[in-house]
Amino acid sequence: MEQELQQKRGIECLMHRGSYRIDDARSAGDSDSERATLAGSMPDETQKKSNQALWLGLLIVVLGVLSNGLYFLGVPAPPIPWISLLLPVVGMALVVAGVWRAFARPAVYRGKILGSLAAVLCTLILVASVAGFVISKRLPAPAAATPQVGQRVPDFTLSDSEGHAVSLSTLLSGSAGGAPPKAVLLVFYRGYW
Amino acid sequence: MAISVDPRNVSEDLRRKAGYTFTFLCDPQAEVIRRLALLHPGGGPDGHDISRPAEFLVDRSGTVRWENFAEDVRVRARADQMLAAARAVP
Repeated sequence: MEQELQQKRGIECLMHRGSYRIDDARSAGDSDSERATLAGSMPDETQKKSNQALWLGLLIVVLGVLSNGLYFLGVPAPPIPWISLLLPVVGMALVVAGVWRAFARPAVYRGKILGSLAAVLCTLILVASVAGFVISKRLPAPAAATPQVGQRVPDFTLSDSEGHAVSLSTLLSGSAGGAPPKAVLLVFYRGYW
Repeated sequence: MAISVDPRNVSEDLRRKAGYTFTFLCDPQAEVIRRLALLHPGGGPDGHDISRPAEFLVDRSGTVRWENFAEDVRVRARADQMLAAARAVP
């Protein structure tokens, strides 16, 4: 019995946080009863709730990053920049809520350390997403001088990638050889790939 | 035809690696790009002038039958859109 008591006291010393009061009730004839009362704020780690807002937010932010792959899947492209922006915004809001919970109610929710790390990561992703969204849309508006539908494109001559001179009129007339094409598609791109 | 300010070797490298069979034209001084008012001043790395993204379908008379101006560099005309426009040309 004495040995058992000593073991329990030893364990409680190892668990020292807050204050403890051990009521050692030994009433006459009841040497087996003992009460240990925790009078402090020592939470049981196994009974803390999972911080679902935190991890759900992190998942949504990661989905926002992965949504950039939608460009390569044949999905209609116009909504994709907005999806790539809004998912990190929503995810970040949940992460902030989760971190707030972990710090405001540490006895109830887990995630102070991992949540803080997740918040830093999500902040970086959010900043990159916003920057990417803004920069990608930073294009000059179509100018009045640009040929519109029904207007003619002025003829031009440029070198192709093999060094041969190519003119638009030659291509359209078929003078370069072969039947003249029905139309020519001119794709102007930014380059620097 | 694909047109950009990239020099010949860069365009040819891209064409070969991507396996494209269409023609790449090189406009390193952006002369044609400026003539069509497609210049994006300082839009390239290190502030180089480049072309804004745009597509034109031009018929045998040189007339524009379809065009597309990207509002986001990540959102370009898809191949099926361009093919549909080409099929509509008599």
